[in-house]
Amino acid sequence: MRLGFLPCFLLGAALLAGPSETKLPAWKVPLEVKTLPNGLTVVVSEDHSLPTVGISMVYRVGMRLEPKGRTGFAHLFEHMMFEGTPVAPKGVFDRVIQGGGGINNGSTRYDYTNYIESAPVSALEPILWLEADRLKALDFSAKNLKNQQEVVKEEIRLNVKNRPYGSWWLDLPAAAYTRWETSHDGYGSFEDLDRADLKDVEAFHRTYYTPSNAVLGIAGDVKPAEAFALVEKYFGALPTRPKPAVPDLKEPLGTAEVRQVKTDPLARVPALAVAWKVMTRGSRDHAPAAVLAELLAGGDASRIYLGLVKGKELLLEVSGGLNFPLGNAWDFDGQTMFGLFSLYKPNADADKVLAGLDEIIANVATQGVPAAELERTKTKMLSDFYSGLEIPLYRADALAKAQSLWGSAAQLNEIPRLIEGVTSEDLKRVAVTYLTRANRTVIDYHLAPVKP
Amino acid sequence: MTILRTTLSLLLTAQAAGLAGSEEKPLPRELPPYGAERPIPALNLAQRTLPNGLTVWIESRPGFPRVTAFLAVRGGNAADPAEQRGTAGLMAGLLNEGTTTRTSKQIAEELQALGGELAAWAGPDAVFLSGSALSHRLPTLLNLLADVARRPTFPAKEVELAKANTLQSLQAQEAQPSFQANRAFNVALFGSHPYSFSSITPETVNAATPDSLRALHAARFQPNQAVLVLSGDLQVERAFKAIGEAFGDWQATGEGPKPLLSAPATCQRAFVLIPRPGSVQSTVRVGRPTVAATHEDYVPLQLANVILGGSFSSRIVRNIREEKGYTYSPGARASGLQVGGSYSIRADVRTEVTAASLMEIFYEMDRMGTTSVGEEELQSAKHYMGGTFLFQNQMQQALVGTLATYWVNGLKPGALSDFIPKVNKVTAEEVRRIGRTYFAAKDQTIVVVGDEAKAKLELEQFGPVRVQAR
Repeated sequence: MRLGFLPCFLLGAALLAGPSETKLPAWKVPLEVKTLPNGLTVVVSEDHSLPTVGISMVYRVGMRLEPKGRTGFAHLFEHMMFEGTPVAPKGVFDRVIQGGGGINNGSTRYDYTNYIESAPVSALEPILWLEADRLKALDFSAKNLKNQQEVVKEEIRLNVKNRPYGSWWLDLPAAAYTRWETSHDGYGSFEDLDRADLKDVEAFHRTYYTPSNAVLGIAGDVKPAEAFALVEKYFGALPTRPKPAVPDLKEPLGTAEVRQVKTDPLARVPALAVAWKVMTRGSRDHAPAAVLAELLAGGDASRIYLGLVKGKELLLEVSGGLNFPLGNAWDFDGQTMFGLFSLYKPNADADKVLAGLDEIIANVATQGVPAAELERTKTKMLSDFYSGLEIPLYRADALAKAQSLWGSAAQLNEIPRLIEGVTSEDLKRVAVTYLTRANRTVIDYHLAPVKP
Repeated sequence: MTILRTTLSLLLTAQAAGLAGSEEKPLPRELPPYGAERPIPALNLAQRTLPNGLTVWIESRPGFPRVTAFLAVRGGNAADPAEQRGTAGLMAGLLNEGTTTRTSKQIAEELQALGGELAAWAGPDAVFLSGSALSHRLPTLLNLLADVARRPTFPAKEVELAKANTLQSLQAQEAQPSFQANRAFNVALFGSHPYSFSSITPETVNAATPDSLRALHAARFQPNQAVLVLSGDLQVERAFKAIGEAFGDWQATGEGPKPLLSAPATCQRAFVLIPRPGSVQSTVRVGRPTVAATHEDYVPLQLANVILGGSFSSRIVRNIREEKGYTYSPGARASGLQVGGSYSIRADVRTEVTAASLMEIFYEMDRMGTTSVGEEELQSAKHYMGGTFLFQNQMQQALVGTLATYWVNGLKPGALSDFIPKVNKVTAEEVRRIGRTYFAAKDQTIVVVGDEAKAKLELEQFGPVRVQAR
């Protein structure tokens, strides 16, 4: 997995010696990695500036690997991870973490599920015990499953069904991809969620929740040797099962534009969602695609903002990025998309917005990008990359995800060099290869007709 | 310059024993105890007032290569005249759209080159500007921050675009049930007091002109009515020098805004329904006005809120989510402003359990005043408050935001160090008093946005329902 990055490393290292970069801070996350005999990989990053720790347990399973015909199951399962174990019944987990001054959460994405905690360092040991305990076994209780089926349906009502354009981030992959794994509704249909039973929960836990499929990140006020010893103490005796294979789910780029119109009865302003399938993680086009996405859609100095929110004044607002909105440019595996979501104005329509986007993309594809613009785009990316590592919780999570998805936590510290290595020619190539009309998926959200 | 040095401590020493309290089931025998507490390093805040009256607070945090600067100027949306309320927010949003020396685009591109960001907005009591950048670019960041704060020009074209976009954004927001609920809730709580404001109206947007925005800016932005707070990887003396260069010649030209009258401390109990066709949930708000951030009840109220609804292990979350499955995201907040405050519980519940959810919320609210909180629950809430306070203030942005807000509310920076000790002093009896004083169900206002026919039937189980359009 590391090999895909090698050419970029060398290029990045060569550029780093140049004079213009000497002023930029060269900050790195300290890290040590160890794999237990049962396959659990542990990444530790020490920082003694405040007496806190961040913890992230990343399992290499997400929406793309949930059982066929069981939409939303990976996410429902994530909820079940908080519903108690045979040893620590429902309520103990939150009670112990809150009592230790900590917070916790979990989230399910396409390629991974993570469980995070942040707390004063005094709570580190009980938290590690709790994580090991729920990796061992869950309380497979019908009552708790029923409860969380209801909670998850309320979550979907809140985030999808009761808000305008709530489904846009589900509609795009559904339209762009053809495989069930990549195109299905990862939040889940109510029918599928209701059909989930305890056997499914048990089988999913048995298959994917095994030390060999997990990475534990720990960052903050702890020495690596101490952290490794604690992890050994609580996780070392857990039996392992083989790491489940990760199927190759990538699809060829599109050959004809997919375009849909949907009517949204809740919306008061029309919206447009656009996405292009892009390269796979770790390919030579990865960092260039990340830089191009930032250049096009990364804030008030980006070309789409300056061109279409300002400039042509077609859009009310726009947001977007690589792997948007379920992650950042780096925390995915396999294939992802460059996605945009915008509200458009009364003087605009989808054709005008798309023509504006095409013009902006064609400009990059044919002219490349001026050196100063490329430089400041990279500086902003570097700064944002650092911001994403400001506190122990973020570090633990980013390191664990890099180890789980890329096979190397140390790769995280290479991202600044990957960004730095991107050239104007790279951006042209990536724009020409991926940001084509044929490879584009467009969903236009119209308002419902006004009732007389 | 004075330097404030205070040691913080979470004082969690008795927690393992505390957890074995009587009212909860025993914890698993194998669960290891919490480790020893470690002291929190002292806050090391450098404070100085420039000759022009600008207050400056700097907290150096070496290592992580970014800096954040927060400028707060007294007088926010609540200081606007009633018929122009929200103009301060519109003005704030236009600060970085052009200055005497830079266009909007130049500002955006310069910020990008610093690895930076700059945002401005208005709260009820102040206008805030927040900027961040890679740490080696601090002087340029301060220069930009001073430029947009001191020399905005409100170019006609930018004002026109901002007005058009604000009008359309308002339309888009009308589709969000939370927007509708918050607006009706604030009005129900604060009546004609300026804290009832939640969003600018189209009429106020239409009335704004470049001249009116310039005049408002000139009146509000006075150095002696402002605080500048910095944190990050910086050298204090160099930072003061750069601040002097960017802000030193900023001169006061007038008085600050007049102080607001105290906000109402109570409201009428009422059930308000905002019909929203097509809603599949009831978006619920329950709450009342409370106290200002400087009031002695404010910290105990925060603690009582952790127990009632402000944390995942709180009573309301355990009840209506973890036991009943009525909702995904219940929450609660005790908010303290300069001259008043509010308490609010929020939940989005499926329509058919609207009344059932409210019944449980009322039960949990009343229980806070009628029975005493157990020792474990109290200790746990204290640890949680200490830990989350520490967690938030690890982040530069949160730390400088907290400190700037303290200044606006009339608190000293030492309030940061006093917070955890104050929390730890609160007794079970005091929590019960807070419950009686602020949480009694009979004193709350209820706002629901949802399906008109179904939600009305649900609410009528409690009494008369006022149906209103917004």
